[in-house]
Amino acid sequence: MSEAGFPHALPDATRGVDGPLPVDPVIEAYKKDVDRTLLRENLRRSVEERLRDLMRLQRFAEEWREAAKKTFG
Amino acid sequence: MIDLEAALRLLAGAGVEFIVVGGVAARAHGSTHLTNDLDLLYSRTPENIRRIASALAPYSPYLRGAPPGLPFRWDAETIARGLNFTLTTSFGDLDLLGEITGGGSYERLLPESALIDAFGVRVRCLALEPLIRVKRAAGRPKDFEVIAELEALKDERDNPKDSPAPQS
Repeated sequence: MSEAGFPHALPDATRGVDGPLPVDPVIEAYKKDVDRTLLRENLRRSVEERLRDLMRLQRFAEEWREAAKKTFG
Repeated sequence: MIDLEAALRLLAGAGVEFIVVGGVAARAHGSTHLTNDLDLLYSRTPENIRRIASALAPYSPYLRGAPPGLPFRWDAETIARGLNFTLTTSFGDLDLLGEITGGGSYERLLPESALIDAFGVRVRCLALEPLIRVKRAAGRPKDFEVIAELEALKDERDNPKDSPAPQS
């Protein structure tokens, strides 16, 4: 278990090296729309599971593009 | 689209020194954003350049977006004369970066990377905080959502909430 409580959180080699990240009001505004439920779910997965999930999503997106091309030209 | 398993196994197996950066690194940290290519920051030592040239040669590397038929030769000399390469290969789109904005070289970011295990190999991935810094430094509006998500991931990692695991 990582110190942060998520079993598969990657260690952050740089924590504290350059000090805390400065707050950016634009990014803060975007953060309000982030779905944290999905992030928590991902943090419980292993890195390999996250990457395999990405490959599945890429395949799906590719199939979707191909289907759209056939249908709409 | 990129076959991450094939790419990472190939390069790690060939002893190439690289750090996974960009969207795949974000994904490794738990991002939900889709990315279609693999960005790697590679060491520019002559030996490493030779390893990259040799490892990728059988996979038809070619400049992405360039018209077919250009006299592009994939070898150590070409890599040494260039810096950043956006490539198509037979296992997918691969960006080989000698330097990245806001981060610099492989050697500069090596202490800011973490080892990850995936697909039976161990590779280096840029840690979350430097990844955020690099994305911020790039200053691209298209990255704002990703940066916000990465910062939320950092919050979640550093201050986990006691929420039950979602039911699948």
